[in-house]
Amino acid sequence: MNPRTCKALASAAALLFVAAAGCTDTTVEPVSTITSANIFSDPSSYQKFLAKIYAGLAVGGESSGDGRTDIQGIDGGFSQYLRIYWESEELPTDEAVLAWGDIGIPDMNTQTWNAFNVFPQSMYYRIMLQATWANEFLRQTTDAQLASRGVSTALKATVQQYRAEARFLRALSYWHGIDLFGDIPLVTENDPIGTPPAQSTRAIIYAYIVSELTAIQSQLPAPGASTYGRATGPAASMLLAEVYLNAGVYTGTPAYSQALAAAQAVISSGAYSIDPSYRHLFQADNNTSPEIIFAITQDGLRTQTYGGVNFIIHAACGGSMSPSASGIDGCWYGNRLKPEAYLRYDLVNDGRASFFYTTGQTLDVSSISNFNAGYAAPKFENVTSTGQPGSNPGFVDTDFPMFRLGEAYLIYAEANLRGGGGDAGQALTYVNALRERAYGNTSGDITAAQMTLPFILDERGRELLWEAHRRTDLVRYGLFTGGSYIWSWKGGTSAGAATDAHLNIFPIPATELVANPKLKQNPGY
Amino acid sequence: MKRLGLILGALLAVLWTAPVRAQEGSGAIRGRVTVEGTQQPLAGVVVTFGPHTVQTRGDGTYLIAAVTAGTDTLRARLIGYVPVARSVTVAAGQTVVVDLTMSSAAVSLSELVVTGYGSQRAGSVTGAVTQVSAAEFNPGRIVSPEQLIASKVAGVQIVDNNEPGGGISIRIRGATSINASSDPLYVIDGLPVGAGGGISAGRDALNFLNPNDIESFTVLKGGEAASIYGANAANGVIIIETKSGRQGPPQVEYSTSASASQVTRLPSMLNASQFAAAVAQYAPQSVGQLLNGNTNWFSLIDRTGYGQEHNLAVSGAGQSNNYRLSLGYLNQDGVIQGTTAERMSLGLDYAQRLFADHLNVRTNLRGSRSLDNFTPGGVLSNAAQMGPTQPSVDATSATGYYNWPGNSLQSADNPVQILALATDKGTTYRSIGNVQAGYRMPFFEALTANVNLGYDITEAQRQTFNSNLLHAQLKAGTGGTLSTSNPSLLNTLFEGYLNYAAPLRFVAGSIDLTGGYSYSQSHGEYPSFNEQNLSTGLLGINGIPSAQTVQNTLDIEDSKLISFFGRLNYNLSDRYLLSASVRRDGSSRFGPSNAWGTFPSVAVAWRISQEPFMASHKGISDLKLRASWGKTGNQAFANYQQYSAYTVGDAQSEVQFGNTFVSTIRPAAVDPNIKWEETDSYNAGLDFGFHNQRFSGAIDWYNKSTSDLIFTVPVAAGSNFSNFLTTNIGSMKNTGVEFTLSARALEGGQRGLSWTADFTAARNTNELTSINPAAGGVQKILTGGIAGGVGTTIQVLEPGQPINSFYVFTQKYDAAGKPIQGSYADSVPRAFHDPAPKWILGHSSYLKYGNWDASFTVRAWLGNYVYNNVASNLGSYAEVTRGSPYNLNTSVLTTGFTQPQYQSDYYVEDGSFLRMDNVTLGYTFQYRGQPLRLYATVQNAFTITGYSGVDPTAGLNGIDNNIYPRSRTWTGGMSIRF
Repeated sequence: MNPRTCKALASAAALLFVAAAGCTDTTVEPVSTITSANIFSDPSSYQKFLAKIYAGLAVGGESSGDGRTDIQGIDGGFSQYLRIYWESEELPTDEAVLAWGDIGIPDMNTQTWNAFNVFPQSMYYRIMLQATWANEFLRQTTDAQLASRGVSTALKATVQQYRAEARFLRALSYWHGIDLFGDIPLVTENDPIGTPPAQSTRAIIYAYIVSELTAIQSQLPAPGASTYGRATGPAASMLLAEVYLNAGVYTGTPAYSQALAAAQAVISSGAYSIDPSYRHLFQADNNTSPEIIFAITQDGLRTQTYGGVNFIIHAACGGSMSPSASGIDGCWYGNRLKPEAYLRYDLVNDGRASFFYTTGQTLDVSSISNFNAGYAAPKFENVTSTGQPGSNPGFVDTDFPMFRLGEAYLIYAEANLRGGGGDAGQALTYVNALRERAYGNTSGDITAAQMTLPFILDERGRELLWEAHRRTDLVRYGLFTGGSYIWSWKGGTSAGAATDAHLNIFPIPATELVANPKLKQNPGY
Repeated sequence: MKRLGLILGALLAVLWTAPVRAQEGSGAIRGRVTVEGTQQPLAGVVVTFGPHTVQTRGDGTYLIAAVTAGTDTLRARLIGYVPVARSVTVAAGQTVVVDLTMSSAAVSLSELVVTGYGSQRAGSVTGAVTQVSAAEFNPGRIVSPEQLIASKVAGVQIVDNNEPGGGISIRIRGATSINASSDPLYVIDGLPVGAGGGISAGRDALNFLNPNDIESFTVLKGGEAASIYGANAANGVIIIETKSGRQGPPQVEYSTSASASQVTRLPSMLNASQFAAAVAQYAPQSVGQLLNGNTNWFSLIDRTGYGQEHNLAVSGAGQSNNYRLSLGYLNQDGVIQGTTAERMSLGLDYAQRLFADHLNVRTNLRGSRSLDNFTPGGVLSNAAQMGPTQPSVDATSATGYYNWPGNSLQSADNPVQILALATDKGTTYRSIGNVQAGYRMPFFEALTANVNLGYDITEAQRQTFNSNLLHAQLKAGTGGTLSTSNPSLLNTLFEGYLNYAAPLRFVAGSIDLTGGYSYSQSHGEYPSFNEQNLSTGLLGINGIPSAQTVQNTLDIEDSKLISFFGRLNYNLSDRYLLSASVRRDGSSRFGPSNAWGTFPSVAVAWRISQEPFMASHKGISDLKLRASWGKTGNQAFANYQQYSAYTVGDAQSEVQFGNTFVSTIRPAAVDPNIKWEETDSYNAGLDFGFHNQRFSGAIDWYNKSTSDLIFTVPVAAGSNFSNFLTTNIGSMKNTGVEFTLSARALEGGQRGLSWTADFTAARNTNELTSINPAAGGVQKILTGGIAGGVGTTIQVLEPGQPINSFYVFTQKYDAAGKPIQGSYADSVPRAFHDPAPKWILGHSSYLKYGNWDASFTVRAWLGNYVYNNVASNLGSYAEVTRGSPYNLNTSVLTTGFTQPQYQSDYYVEDGSFLRMDNVTLGYTFQYRGQPLRLYATVQNAFTITGYSGVDPTAGLNGIDNNIYPRSRTWTGGMSIRF
């Protein structure tokens, strides 16, 4: 070959080679994406991450109105934690019926769901996601991690408190998990991301919740206006009381004395008192109520969701009701009472029945989809105790009182009746305190003889109507399924019918059985 | 790096086999080969003289050095041309000049087909490649370039959304992806502009390109042809070449046209008396809201859309250069008020040959401004929902427009008010340009070094404004809203490659070898501003006054793609053809353990018609068997998927800690090992031609298997930070056959009647073969959101079924054939048909007689199904029981449904259709010695279909939910040269 040709070729090849050698690095670090590599360089990230676990209960995603949703495969508002939890606890019971025909909703009203229903599915994902977030928070805030990032002593102390709160929130969701689904996986901070978890049992997770709550109680923030919305020591006691009260369902062994003791701990903490106004508990300024122990906070301007209390208030409005009376922009024509819930009240004297709306409505739910069938219950409202509308008619300010002192009274009474010890006279006093608030005087007081377990169940129905306790209560009383208590639309007929006991817990979602082959379906599904 | 060394080593080894060494006592032959008649130079002609074989260069010249003195036969041959032989005598120490002309034997075989990083004669193409040139383009009002080739290429499905220049989706041999893009890669004059063609704030990303500037489209359908583009090629590649100046004196071309469009079909809704009767029967409580109007809401929002287009081009060519400068203006109104499309474009193509034609530099620069006004959201759906008994105007209201009383959340909005008080506008500035230089080594003529430097820059703005006086805003309580996004994107490209084309010295046959390196990077900035509760609506889109809720975001994204590629074409006696290529792509989108992907291909072809034993079959002008395999990738997914990202919650998603609100951060579910999707394509084909290609065609069979689908699949709860994870899982298959037949049915010469007819037919079968092979159980991912309910979906991704199959119950019917409400034959929905057509048929005819020309294009789809969402959503009497009643689809008169039956298969309709896409009549005469052509075109002349909704081509997803109606367009135009 001609030497010049060789030269030309060699230079061309060399040029290409050099150019190529210099440019084979494909790495492009993101510049406007925050990653695990730098997120905790900002000390406020610890608080913000903890806030996300709280927000997991309050909103469906990361932008206004449940945008950028946390879980996928379902609308952000539909999948909002509190909303599905509320629907799971209320729609299959004798308390509520939801008119809408969206796929999956009709089955929730009538205990006719299957493993493909998107609502239990989303509930399951929400519960496990809360635990996963809490686990990651705990992994990111170990002493070693904090030390490696040179975190200040003051922040370290704060983060210790945050860790306790994260564990509270994880315990809360695990309680919801075993209550709704039975045997679910137990994932903790020791389980690495990426591995499908194995199935645990209700009893193991029950024990785990108890031990966690006991361990963190002293580390949680103290109650008070400055910690409103956060988990406090009494909130952990209240959660313990709930878990113990239902221990028989979860483990086969009741724990009523522990339930009573936990309720007593809440009451005697002295941090809370019965709100003189029952209505105030469900109004736009209920953050000022002295009775609320743990609230899922909502705000018209800062915490906007189509789930949560915004759903509860909007969906309860319809027919000839005025939306502005509830402080909202319009009605969603959704939830009404089943007649059994309405008829439990002393309709003349019990103030807790005073807000029911009957104009243009019928008592009987002749048709699920017709809002006018069934009385309406605008118990929650986006109006303050002074009659002012909330900050935004589109998104309510009203917080959800997940735990309140009134329920601690009822747990004390029920645990006492079920042989959990305590003082029967004290129990009667607690129950009558709630009835005196409801009746405005002592005319509604009951006697010791009237205080029976069925009475407590009914009283819980009256006091805690639409506060997302009913399904758990009916299961504990053995009335949720089977034929001993029939209510409208139970089992799918308007007169009601007996249902099978497997419905006491929801199915493990069919999608989850595919994604995690380690799981077994609940019996009966 | 090792691999690069190997590639180069191989390249050099081959080069050594072809030394060009001068010998003493010998002569030389040089000359130029051109096409008879046109005098265009012919490149790649194989010239032999005794034992010597060379190929002509780009300018048609050749040189045979060191020829032993004496007389021998000089032969020249090239696919598609009549071989030439001439006796030549060479004297020692002298150079003989022999210029040759060759005449085309079969035009269709001799055409240059552009392939990636080079071109080939059509006759020697080994893969599934189809080229469409300007003469075959669809006529009429064409806003988007892709529309030019609709119905022209077998296996290419082109779907638009009926708006002028509406976002166009192309599927070549079916969709290969679910979560990444299924659009092909576009390469414009050697510059790849990405899957789908880049970004835009308007309708279609390619609308920046003036269709009038396009010379040809080449569709690389098969994996073997596309694989030279590696990780971007899984959906095929569309190479667009623009026009350049032609030989001859400077020429000015001007063309213009004017058009008018009208709606062909609208949703069928109840009239005023039917509506009033429905309300009276099912929602007596709302009768009081009804007024005595008789309003056809659609007639208040549609219109005749007028348009005009002007194109001016100046072109010419000198001895060593050519140029073309073009200016274009287009303005087209849509058939729904508020819709307009406008484009101003400028293009410059300049090519210069330097250093005795050794250096060839071609520069392309184009810039455009596209202005798209959109019909504001909700106009079409509210026109369907608004009660026909209600008037459109109300002098007593604040805005002068009527709306339902009470601002109930459950009420439709007056669409005429939306048109008046809302704005939705996109402005896109885009420019692309590149310089391609090819340097033929002066002492090693077979070797060419090429450099391609290019850029693609887009600055866009999309603005949406809703006045606080709008009914919808009053209902939602959000006041006036304004949102603005300003995406900008800069892509830059460097490519260097060597090409060696020469006959082999020690082995029979000739090779064409290409090897190179490509580096491209992309920088995008995406700011957006969203304001709610504007302090005033007076400024419209023209300013951001203060607002109660402000959400501003900025996202910056960078990406890189680094590639090495090589290709070998081997041609033995024009009978046996082999092509093999490999591309190695490194992408910033791939996770660290999968940083580089390799995409090889191999193809063989046997030109049976060239075999000596076929010599007696004179009628068979072409017979070629092809077989190929190629691997391609798809990296058209989001950046930074491999990073453990945290996202930040906005100011409306905070929670309360005591008396303060705290914003949130959330870890994202991440698969750090994310990589490309991989498609294995097999193709077998037969090309045939009879009677000197008067009848020609091809049959192709293909099978494409895509694995490592980027799929957002459910993951075990508790194992990641969401219930879905985007990861490489799942697989999909497309198989099909394609038939193409082209006939010059009548050949009437210059003045007589001539008729060319092209037929295409393609069948594709898509199957999602697996979602998560490791998991058990029934895997179904619901998709295809519809209007009706919240989050309702109507389609399913299920193994064993085509993607996006409809997921519906089997409706039961009574004896009279009426569907029974809520009565289904099954307890869970099942996959039932899908939106993709099973067969796509196309026919184009071109007729010419004297000064007249005519053409038409017909297309048919068979077996595509459409979900009539307007009928299902507004098809039950429950809709009149809302706060204020919605109008109903006339299907309710048949079904009598009182509750919505979204999941009934009653609403899944066969969308098969036959459509006359366009008919054109033209007349050409001489004006001042130059041709002047006048023409008239009707687009969408008629559609024959059994589908009851607005349009059976209801987008790719087959869901007809108040889609933009289709229009019929009449265009008259003229083109003239000076």
